[in-house]
Amino acid sequence: MSRKIDERIPQDSGAGTTIKEYVALQSPWNRLISYQEAMHYISRFESVLSAAAIQALRIIVPDYAERAQMMCEDAIQRLYMTGKYYGDDDGFGIHPFMCGEYPGALIGDKGDDALLMCGRCNDFGTYRCEKELDVCDWDIVGSELCRTTTMSLQGQAKAAAERRPGGPTLDYMMVEAKGCGDRHCRIIAENRDKYPAPPHELWQSFGPAVTDDYKKYTEEEDCVDESMMFREECNYHFVNGTNNETDSSNQMINLSTAASLYVLPAISEAVKRGYVTREQADHILHCVLEAAGKAMFGERYAIKGLRDWMGVPNSIREDGRLLAGLIELQLQALVCPYEIEAFNEKECILVIERSYLEITGTKDLPEAHVSMWYGMAKTLINAQWALWEEDSPEGKLRIKIAKRIDKFA
Amino acid sequence: MNKNIFKYDDMKRSEHMAVRNHVGWYFWTHQLLEVTGPDVTAFLDYIYSGDIASLAVGRDRYTTMLNEQGEIIDDVVIMRISEDTYWVSTLYATKADDWWYYHQGDFDVEWTEITEDWQMLAVQGPKSKEVLNALCGESVDSQKFFEIRENELDGIPVKINRAGFTGEKWGYEIYMSPDDLEAIEKAVDAEVVKAGGMRVTEFQIMAWTLPTEAGIYYMRDLAHTNPFETGLDRNIKWDKDFIGKDALLAIRESGPEREMVGFEVLEDDYYIRAKQYGGPGEPVFIETEEEEVGRVSKLVYSYVKEVNNGYILAKKGTLKIGDRIRIHGHDCIITKKNWLV
Repeated sequence: MSRKIDERIPQDSGAGTTIKEYVALQSPWNRLISYQEAMHYISRFESVLSAAAIQALRIIVPDYAERAQMMCEDAIQRLYMTGKYYGDDDGFGIHPFMCGEYPGALIGDKGDDALLMCGRCNDFGTYRCEKELDVCDWDIVGSELCRTTTMSLQGQAKAAAERRPGGPTLDYMMVEAKGCGDRHCRIIAENRDKYPAPPHELWQSFGPAVTDDYKKYTEEEDCVDESMMFREECNYHFVNGTNNETDSSNQMINLSTAASLYVLPAISEAVKRGYVTREQADHILHCVLEAAGKAMFGERYAIKGLRDWMGVPNSIREDGRLLAGLIELQLQALVCPYEIEAFNEKECILVIERSYLEITGTKDLPEAHVSMWYGMAKTLINAQWALWEEDSPEGKLRIKIAKRIDKFA
Repeated sequence: MNKNIFKYDDMKRSEHMAVRNHVGWYFWTHQLLEVTGPDVTAFLDYIYSGDIASLAVGRDRYTTMLNEQGEIIDDVVIMRISEDTYWVSTLYATKADDWWYYHQGDFDVEWTEITEDWQMLAVQGPKSKEVLNALCGESVDSQKFFEIRENELDGIPVKINRAGFTGEKWGYEIYMSPDDLEAIEKAVDAEVVKAGGMRVTEFQIMAWTLPTEAGIYYMRDLAHTNPFETGLDRNIKWDKDFIGKDALLAIRESGPEREMVGFEVLEDDYYIRAKQYGGPGEPVFIETEEEEVGRVSKLVYSYVKEVNNGYILAKKGTLKIGDRIRIHGHDCIITKKNWLV
């Protein structure tokens, strides 16, 4: 095999992937993809990966309530710990006098905007908060995730309240969810002393809200499809009601995914609880992700669309450069540094900074990507081709795309 | 759906009206920066648009911090604690810290964030003086508005600043060590209840409804505005150099392009987005829906006047008091922006 790197325009696309230099993504064939489009692309791709990963969890823990409860317990605990040790009150515009759990809404509001989950805050008070989303790229993952994300707010809110004790608690609920087919996602948080309701399990934090008549339902014509940071009317800034203000350059490095934050940690939790062994869990995860990868380009028009999107010249037919080019774009969109060791019609080798692909520190996320990319190789190129990890240096993920005969594939 | 989140809420109403009719107290700790050094007065005079040099020891001043374009990036209360020491009360300490550092230049000045060293309780309303006098070692009778004094409360040393964010003539802010917070809260609560008042617990009352009713702004209202647009130009000290002065002089010459006006929504329940929740606020149109003349900055409720009240940041001269307009299909009227006078 050759270590040759074909002539590329530019040769170093993806080099120095830092925000300062990041005006656009560059495909290996110099197709520029705007920062905004890149955010949308990678957000949806990672949601597809997450949607596949949750199928593994559904196989491992078939009972809906049991699975959702486990996901919620895991999320509330982890996000509580995140808030406790890394909570940034000033960064979210949480003021010193804000006692209680309502500042959790400020954290959620900012996080939504960074994840392109655009909408609006409709109420923000000590005893009631309401957030309405018009768009959620995670709406394909599954309703268990909708329940679980609510618990991340609950955990963060608890951590914020501990820094300023003495305020009232809030019960965060997702009373509408795009993942369930609703027009909006709607989180309503209510204080149970003021708005009493029967107690419920964590996974049942789905409403109905006691204060349903207060809710503000945004009609279709007033809905938005971009986050504040990408809207001219907001001067391309996210700004909340407490003056916390950030522009879009702040956001790409904050991209987190459903798989990294919720699904893969829940699979680890299922292993810990003895549903399956780690090996069984990895096997199931690999199977569903490989299938999801194959499904991405099973339709020939998807390949044609991708070639156009990346500006692939006609001289390049079916070989590994197609997939390598796509992976490069994904890595650039994730602000994940990588080096190109080989890029030619025989083979492509990328050496990726592993920790960056873990995104939120989720150790098995790089392997999840490898499984999905393997499946994509089979349909985006053809079944003679494969993608695998080989000879990774310490702290790196070295992936190779080449033809490979595997009698057990 | 769309039920008014203020009007029918008895808890919010009682907390708000306790302040207006009797007295209310609440935990109101802000971020606090202590600034010292030989050049401290000159430095603060350069950073802020108001008159710092004339501030006597023991007195406070409300002022704005501007960027080079003359836009307000923070509004603060500055307290002169001693000849060379000031406290700056803000809700934007991290931004102020960066901004000051960037503009420090040759000023011989130092600052420290002391937020964690001081907690603050607000006691506001017509009976607040009575409450403070019942609790404090020294009478507060002669204490002027925006004056901070050492005192004792139940034998505990405190600083008492006569000030507030409610528009009340009588209101005090009690600064104390965090170690003393619990004891002072207990003492204040008992005395406030005795005076017919109560604790204010709702953020929307302390930060939104009380100040808005008095025409006072809460940070987001001011974002990306200049003092002429918001009526804060009266506090500017023109015969000194300060950041944003050149831009403000140009604006003074040409006239501001926008102005903050008051408005009321004449229907009980509504769907109107306001900047107080984040985002750009509801667009405001007149006559034809083709011309946007402003955005809704704030929309809350005046429990004193029993109206939905708020602010619109509008193109200068397009909206006049008494004008009837429709916002997102709801009947509204333009008003002055103080509902207590």
